[in-house]
Amino acid sequence: MTPSTPASFPRAVPALARDALSACRQHARACLHFPSRPLATLAETPASSSASTSTPQPAPADPHLPKPIINAAVILNRAPLLTRTPTMFERAYYAYHARIQRALFNPFPSDFYFKQGSLLEAKFVKEEKEREREAFGGPWVLKRKQKPESSSRADGDEEPMPRITEADRTGDVKSLDRMGERNLYLLLLGKDHTGKQTWRFPYGDLKEHELLHEAAERDLEAECGTMMDTWIVSRNPIGVYQPPLPADAAKKSLAQTHLFFYKAHILAGQVRPDGKNITDFAWLTKQEIQPRVDQNYWASIKDILSDF
Amino acid sequence: MSVQAAVQVPRRVVAANAGRNIRPTRAAPEIRKPLKRDAKGLPIPHVNIIVRDTHRCRLSDHYYHTVQDDLMYMTYVHEPYARKPRRELRPMYDPNDPYTKHRYNPPVGGDRWSKQPPQPSAPDDVVVLERIQLHMMMKEAIGHRTQLLGPIMAFRAISGESEGAGGRRTAEGVQIVKGKKSLSGWVRPGVPLGVKVDLKGPKMYDFLATLVEFVLPRLREFPGIVMPGPSVRLDTPSAASGVVSFGLPPLALSLFPQIEVNLDAYPKSFGLHIHFVTSAKGVGAQNRARALLSGFQVPFARA
Repeated sequence: MTPSTPASFPRAVPALARDALSACRQHARACLHFPSRPLATLAETPASSSASTSTPQPAPADPHLPKPIINAAVILNRAPLLTRTPTMFERAYYAYHARIQRALFNPFPSDFYFKQGSLLEAKFVKEEKEREREAFGGPWVLKRKQKPESSSRADGDEEPMPRITEADRTGDVKSLDRMGERNLYLLLLGKDHTGKQTWRFPYGDLKEHELLHEAAERDLEAECGTMMDTWIVSRNPIGVYQPPLPADAAKKSLAQTHLFFYKAHILAGQVRPDGKNITDFAWLTKQEIQPRVDQNYWASIKDILSDF
Repeated sequence: MSVQAAVQVPRRVVAANAGRNIRPTRAAPEIRKPLKRDAKGLPIPHVNIIVRDTHRCRLSDHYYHTVQDDLMYMTYVHEPYARKPRRELRPMYDPNDPYTKHRYNPPVGGDRWSKQPPQPSAPDDVVVLERIQLHMMMKEAIGHRTQLLGPIMAFRAISGESEGAGGRRTAEGVQIVKGKKSLSGWVRPGVPLGVKVDLKGPKMYDFLATLVEFVLPRLREFPGIVMPGPSVRLDTPSAASGVVSFGLPPLALSLFPQIEVNLDAYPKSFGLHIHFVTSAKGVGAQNRARALLSGFQVPFARA
């Protein structure tokens, strides 16, 4: 599926956020000057790598600076299940063009599809006449409206599933059935990198000699349980979040954290948090995520999430 | 908050009315001045009438809401540095010769288009399905050209395309393929051999949905579109043009719902070639095209 992605991970600092792009450029410059140094994404625990290749400070590597902390987060997406409901304007547009098409289409070769005088042909002609009336109007349309509701049931036609589910009515944010037309994203209530209880995407740290996309997969399983099938879209991270350091970070020698985001799809199952570190979860749309998360966090993820 | 949010968005959802026509039930306005008639006696409208989309296309929505983003991430290649400029090669003909001045003058050895690397990754240059071409050839048609009537009807039923459909000049409908070369004992130039049709837009996505949901799952012992092994070169014309092609056996024709309803109307079953033409270009474009198609659940299998 993934064409020509290398097994190792040397070129994996693509990022969509603006600050991430600048970090990328600095990273590239650092590589140019010190080509022998291992990349920050390749092998790092807070204790290992010699210099910080991806710190946002443009200053050359300072041996007294703490090593950066690399984390991997997963943006787990439930893709839309339903086609989006057209707006009034779109419906008018489609209806208009459907009528033009009906007025202009080539004559239907009914003798090719039906035997002359068969029951099926009579049924088709009758239905076609009704569709014609509905398209081009007339006084009979208003009267006809009540009939098809009962008649279609009587024919044994299957009723389509409702577009608004039980989860929509009760406001159950844990259900995967909610908001069939929208992209939903998994948000967990748990401790973030400062130990504060917040809403955030599932994330975790990077072990020594582990690749970033492998860490993302492992961290997702660790936080959400093994009761779901997921697919991580790409080996490249799709964004990065660098939480702002407190003002006295240099004095306390606090390390800069880099949280790389990966996109994943849920294919089956459901989240089963262990209840200790993660206390709650929710499947939310982009607009519902904004009030729950930190402003800086939001700034780095808002362009990744789908508006629909 | 979540309860409100859950209710807020579906307010747009008018489920009961979603598919209904919203035209006011007024009669069409009276025509005061009769329209001009053409040579066949048909009325000529005042304006050029073109039929656009008549419904929301499900697979097109799926592409723009899900597949496109994923493909952008999957096909992203990080290039921090500017590319090296192409090597300047001597043009094939003398550029100072006035005869060649405004003529195509490729570099020596051709422009080697299949050897060129793809464009740098960009969000507005994600691979997209441009058209699907169906194509079949029937050997018996060389002797009796009426043998092509069955395939023409079948292709019209499958594709829903017709010439100039919806007032579009570019809609070519089902076309007859004629021989080009003279091969002794087999084919002469201008002899009808087969049939082809190009699908674009919503009809293309409708065909893709039919193929993936009705035909391929019911095909016996179909492992998927077989891919060449990893050792195959990525810069051959077939690998760099971004087209994925495969064939369906004659048995598959009867699995299309449009054919299935009156299968006995078609005198003979035949196989067909399907070409998925995508916007991917450059070295390894076929792999990117496959990634796009697997987003529409077209199955692929290793050789």
